[in-house]
Amino acid sequence: MSLADLLEISKQAFMYSFFLYCISFIAFAVSVIGKSWRNRDPVQHERKWGRLSFFISTVGLLGHLLYFGTRWAAAGRIPVSNMYEFMSFLSMMIMVAFTIVFIIYRKTLLGLFALPIAIIVMAYAAVFPTEVQPLIPSLQSIWLYIHVTLAATGESFFAVGFAAAFMYLLRTVNFDGREKSDRRQRWWVEFTMFSIVIVIGFIVVVFAFRASGYQAVFSSEQVVAATETSPEVSTKSDSVVYNMPPIVAPYNSKTDSMQSFLGMNSPLLHAPSWIEGVTAGRKLNTIVWSVIAGAIIYALLRLLVRRPLGKLVSPLLKGLDPDDLDEISYRAIAIGFPIFTLGALVFAMIWAQQAWGRFWGWDPKEVWALISWLYYSAYLHLRLSRGFQGRKASWLAVLGFLVIMFTLVGVNLVIAGLHSYAGTN
Amino acid sequence: MIENTKCECGHQNRVGTVLCEACGKPLIELGEAGGLLEMRYDGAARRSQRANPGIIDLVWNFFSSVKVAVYLIVLTLLGAMLGTIYPQVSTFVNLQNPEEYYKNTYGTLGSIYYQLGLADTYNSWWFILLLVMIGSSLVICSLDRVLPLYKALSKQKIKKHMEFLTRQRVVYQGQVEGSAEEWIQRAAPVIKKKGYRVHTEGTALLAEKQRFSRWGPYVIHIGLIIFLLAVLFRGMPGLHMDEYVSFPEGEIKRIPGTTFYLKNEQFTVKYYTEQELPKEFQNKGKLVAKLFQTKAVLYECTSNCNDPSKTPQLKEVTRHDIEVNKPLDYKGLVAYQYDFDLTPKLRSVQPVLVNKVTGEEYGKFKLDMMNPQRSFTLGPYTLELKNKFMDFMLNDDGEPTSKSPNPNAPAFLFLVKGPDLPKDGAQYLYFPKQVDKERFQQDLINEKLGGVEKKLELDVKHMTDVDFSKASSYLNIRMDRAMPFVWTGLAIVMLGLVLGFYWTHRRIWLRIDDGQLTLGGHTTKNFFGLRREVVAILKTMGIEVDEKSLDNGRNKG
Repeated sequence: MSLADLLEISKQAFMYSFFLYCISFIAFAVSVIGKSWRNRDPVQHERKWGRLSFFISTVGLLGHLLYFGTRWAAAGRIPVSNMYEFMSFLSMMIMVAFTIVFIIYRKTLLGLFALPIAIIVMAYAAVFPTEVQPLIPSLQSIWLYIHVTLAATGESFFAVGFAAAFMYLLRTVNFDGREKSDRRQRWWVEFTMFSIVIVIGFIVVVFAFRASGYQAVFSSEQVVAATETSPEVSTKSDSVVYNMPPIVAPYNSKTDSMQSFLGMNSPLLHAPSWIEGVTAGRKLNTIVWSVIAGAIIYALLRLLVRRPLGKLVSPLLKGLDPDDLDEISYRAIAIGFPIFTLGALVFAMIWAQQAWGRFWGWDPKEVWALISWLYYSAYLHLRLSRGFQGRKASWLAVLGFLVIMFTLVGVNLVIAGLHSYAGTN
Repeated sequence: MIENTKCECGHQNRVGTVLCEACGKPLIELGEAGGLLEMRYDGAARRSQRANPGIIDLVWNFFSSVKVAVYLIVLTLLGAMLGTIYPQVSTFVNLQNPEEYYKNTYGTLGSIYYQLGLADTYNSWWFILLLVMIGSSLVICSLDRVLPLYKALSKQKIKKHMEFLTRQRVVYQGQVEGSAEEWIQRAAPVIKKKGYRVHTEGTALLAEKQRFSRWGPYVIHIGLIIFLLAVLFRGMPGLHMDEYVSFPEGEIKRIPGTTFYLKNEQFTVKYYTEQELPKEFQNKGKLVAKLFQTKAVLYECTSNCNDPSKTPQLKEVTRHDIEVNKPLDYKGLVAYQYDFDLTPKLRSVQPVLVNKVTGEEYGKFKLDMMNPQRSFTLGPYTLELKNKFMDFMLNDDGEPTSKSPNPNAPAFLFLVKGPDLPKDGAQYLYFPKQVDKERFQQDLINEKLGGVEKKLELDVKHMTDVDFSKASSYLNIRMDRAMPFVWTGLAIVMLGLVLGFYWTHRRIWLRIDDGQLTLGGHTTKNFFGLRREVVAILKTMGIEVDEKSLDNGRNKG
């Protein structure tokens, strides 16, 4: 079998496992919602559908593993070196973590929350270029394999911890209460829902404009800062291709070409000066589009169901024991923490020492890995010694996942550093 | 006020004790009935809980608080965030005027950022202070707790107070038939089978397993302290070296500050071929590097090391092909592939001294860029080398100086003596490179220096008289004596994490009073697993219970 064939199989497997996850998610939803349908025994129904859904998600995971194996074989190295590969791997590990936790606790509802996370992360992966890139010298190391895979494994346990914590909140927050604290809790739950919808909005706009083949090109003069390799300050002209209509053009740029979009023939706004670089302008534009698309989707959903999304979901969780959810969240984080420490910090230091001669360089990605670690150690201290349990701990776990996501995605979007080779849109 | 800390069982407890050290009876009011016990440190008094604290005690108490520790962690976390807003000064190698740079690149915000010292967050006094405070907190928190906990766990009583049992999170109460002692004796092997160490005393039983996991957090803290100390002492002179040195191909060059010499025998750069690149990259003229390699030989100087007039004696100690991720490592001296420069570097020229008036030539001599001879005798003339500038420039006062030690624009200042020249000689500046000669206007400079350029000239006749090195490899030479401690600290942290997170300390207490069995269970994590274990044990003993009913928790039923 040629390498191109393997790569083709890999791409197909990726697609199929994505669809299987989606089907499995629907099946999980049926197994939970269908309990209250007429003419059926709820326990029997949940057992039957729960098994079916888990079977489908497991087949999906096998497909995902096939994607991983074939791409590994085709590339001749572990596929975790760019954003597409890393995000695919992360979603695969979230499914592995889900499968493990499901086998231990047998909670059908967990599928209803873990699968969407895996699906969103996987769809997010598909946003990035999928070609197999050759490794630059600094990435040619056994530590790439160990560091990235372990860090992603730790993070996927945090993701499961987040899912369980969010379920706890949806289960315990009083959606009918009139008190101030109830209202505040509701608002934040809804805000979390909205944030998730924005991520979906991002994926939707990327694929929508990619399908339509939209393009606009901008160029701008850049002042190039002195760096280690080129110690002189100079200027260069950079051009950047937008695949979304430019609501925000790069700072100080001129339009080389632009397709018209809904009668819009020139960029609406220019990025402020502190949004540095032409690609930064594109990132800002992407963020603006994501928020707009997310807001539209959210508004449509609200119109459709006529109540807050949190309130829509919370009745599904009635049968669950909040203490169990709290325990699952805590355990997932406790399992993930040592793995994360080893993968994201210790092995990262060993690799950095070998590649650059310093085990720590305060690179933004490193700093954010440290921030995540400090955050979760604060969580554990509060939990162990200060009795933060239940609601407080759950909010911390939800916020913690936001920190992790910023470390993984936000740092590349907003701040670039040594890890910027991971490439973003 | 002196608290009465004597328990009803007769044991005298220290101030701050929550649960009687002997029988486990709660010593403080727990409020409503059925409230859970505070089982931290087994209810033992911490060192910081003194009756009359002095100043040292107050400092100790401050750092021993977990609340303070969490605040420190959060402050460090926020401080670290600030440092990622704009690039730090440490990421630039040649930033002449950082203040201006931040202002020009990031505007007013950048200027404020720089003024606040956030451009160098991680070396700022407050950030280092936070790390030191975290270190103190680690030491004091651990000492404050580990000793009382150790004492409490090593002298546990088997028979505990009734309230101690019923206020655990896992509780079972029920009737048992027959002799109480016999029941306990029957239960012991059942519990033992689950991996517990079982102690019995009449009608009471204590089962315990994986106590070592309680030391996990303290092991983590010890590792972190070693790590932090190693990082702190890393910067001490003699322990640390960090140099960037260029090694032209084929040249033996001394590593500054050491007795080692390194020779770059060959430097190679390889790029991926078009076939190796993905389709999207092909035929776009895009170069992706595949390999940077320096074939290096390391020598150690054995004698004449510090005498510039003698040739040092070198002994080869090791050779290694340095690549990114594959540094040369000799007894802690590590050379990393850092950068390279493929532009040829001038190594030596062989100019001829020419009399400009008569056209007479006075012979050729070899002028080495890096290690030139001090004086040359050519016919009736002598050239004495007064000064050399490897990267010539005129400073603000109009005096010649060198921008860098790299031979980018070499210039040599000679004192020439001989016929037709002043008795004390005349100064003459020579640029071996033709471009520099024109760029810096050699003739104009020499006219100012004394007018030798009208009489004499140094001229390179053939290209064969010029020697270039093809490529230079930039190596980062490092020495870090503290590294073994850094790795040891991290290894201990990992050991502690595994101990503390993947094992849990579980204890089960049993007592039978008048046919009534009371069971209390405690674990540090995973009550779910403990309840499951208790259900299995009770089942073997002929008692069927539901897992959930054991939960003496907040929402029973």
